[in-house]
Amino acid sequence: MDVQRYISSGIIESHVAGLVSESEAREVEAAIQEYPEVRAAADAVQQDMERYVQMWAVKPPAGLKKQIFERLNKVEETVEIPLVEEVAETIAEEGSFSMPQIPVLKMWQYGAVAAIALLIGSSIVNFVFMSRVDEYKEKYEKLTEEQVALSTEKGAYVTRYQEAEKEMNMLKDPAFKWIKMQGVNKHTGIVATICWNPESKETYILAQQLPEPPEDKQYQLWAIVNGHPVDAGVFELGNMTKVLQKVKNVTNAQVFAVTLEKKGGSPAPSLDQMFVAGKVSG
Amino acid sequence: MGTVLTYTEAELVLGLKSRSEKHFGYLYDHYSPALFGIALKVINDETVAGDVLQEIFLKIWRSIERYDTDKGRLFTWMVNIARNTAIDTLRSKAHKQGQKVQELGSNTMVTEQFAVHQSVDHLGLTKVIEQLNKEQRVIIDLAYYKGCTQEEISKILDIPLGTVKTRMRNAIIQLRTILKQL
Repeated sequence: MDVQRYISSGIIESHVAGLVSESEAREVEAAIQEYPEVRAAADAVQQDMERYVQMWAVKPPAGLKKQIFERLNKVEETVEIPLVEEVAETIAEEGSFSMPQIPVLKMWQYGAVAAIALLIGSSIVNFVFMSRVDEYKEKYEKLTEEQVALSTEKGAYVTRYQEAEKEMNMLKDPAFKWIKMQGVNKHTGIVATICWNPESKETYILAQQLPEPPEDKQYQLWAIVNGHPVDAGVFELGNMTKVLQKVKNVTNAQVFAVTLEKKGGSPAPSLDQMFVAGKVSG
Repeated sequence: MGTVLTYTEAELVLGLKSRSEKHFGYLYDHYSPALFGIALKVINDETVAGDVLQEIFLKIWRSIERYDTDKGRLFTWMVNIARNTAIDTLRSKAHKQGQKVQELGSNTMVTEQFAVHQSVDHLGLTKVIEQLNKEQRVIIDLAYYKGCTQEEISKILDIPLGTVKTRMRNAIIQLRTILKQL
């Protein structure tokens, strides 16, 4: 131990003034026992403190000495052996120089106050975090919604892209024949296009300019071979006008034609209801 | 006290341990003003301080057998008994608790008490009181005479806990410097 440093730390003054805890007091007592320099320093402070105490000396009231001697004899007669309580007291007096500690009741009071303070503190923290939980929950739900919307949109784009890609491929594929069907009779001016692969039999229709049919009717495509119409399936309008719609496979065709039929299609075309027709070239 | 004693400290202790009332009477005559001064400064009430002084001497009488000369001087031992007994009395009385802080709040206490009770070492005390500042006197009183803990002092004086020990140390250093000059 650095004795000089210990002496100049102020612990000795605190000890003499009774300002140290019980454990610190024991530590100082041990240091005093072990190091003569510490003992000398402690004694010097102690003696000066006692000089100060002496300065406050006041003569006690005159009758007091007599009273004490009377009690002394009384005590001598009745109680030879000090009571257990007193022994404990005097041991405490001799054993340590520390001041009386905070009474037990007070300690409980401090404890209770500390516990209440902690409880209030924790409640506040809880409240703050709970309100944040609500806030985050709301944000989370909003983000989830947005995410769903985005993936739906993305799905739509993917479909559109795939369709466009398919159309591009068909355009590039020399096996596909493009047949432009012009309006016939009173329907002059309207157009629909057929995209047909005679090898794979795949057939698509692009219903660019057909008018919207009545509720109970539907357009039907026909492949005409040697004057005989062969059903190539019904198709939709509305949103589907912008894309190539797949219809039934067509094995052979010299002419393609579209008629307006009852919903679901007819076994034979209503020739007076023909809207467009186009001849397969080559 | 050394030169005025007719007994050496060793003789006095020996006499007390053998339950000599003559030695005890001598002890009272020589030390009661100092011990009464402590009781008075702690309790601040002459009647109660008188009762406390009786308790102090009874304790000294009963526990003198346990006094060990190797552990320190007789006066130091008695001062500790006096302080502990007086502070215990102060603390055991609930109504005193409030009074304690109140007394210290009004810093006139030191001078008032000084005026009422003629001190034995009048001149020395006057000089010390003049040269120790109010702050230093109050902190010594709180710790030494009122038995306040660091935490209590920190609350009463409204200063940080860490400052208490430093201020206490400076107060004692100042006190010692003044005493050296006397």
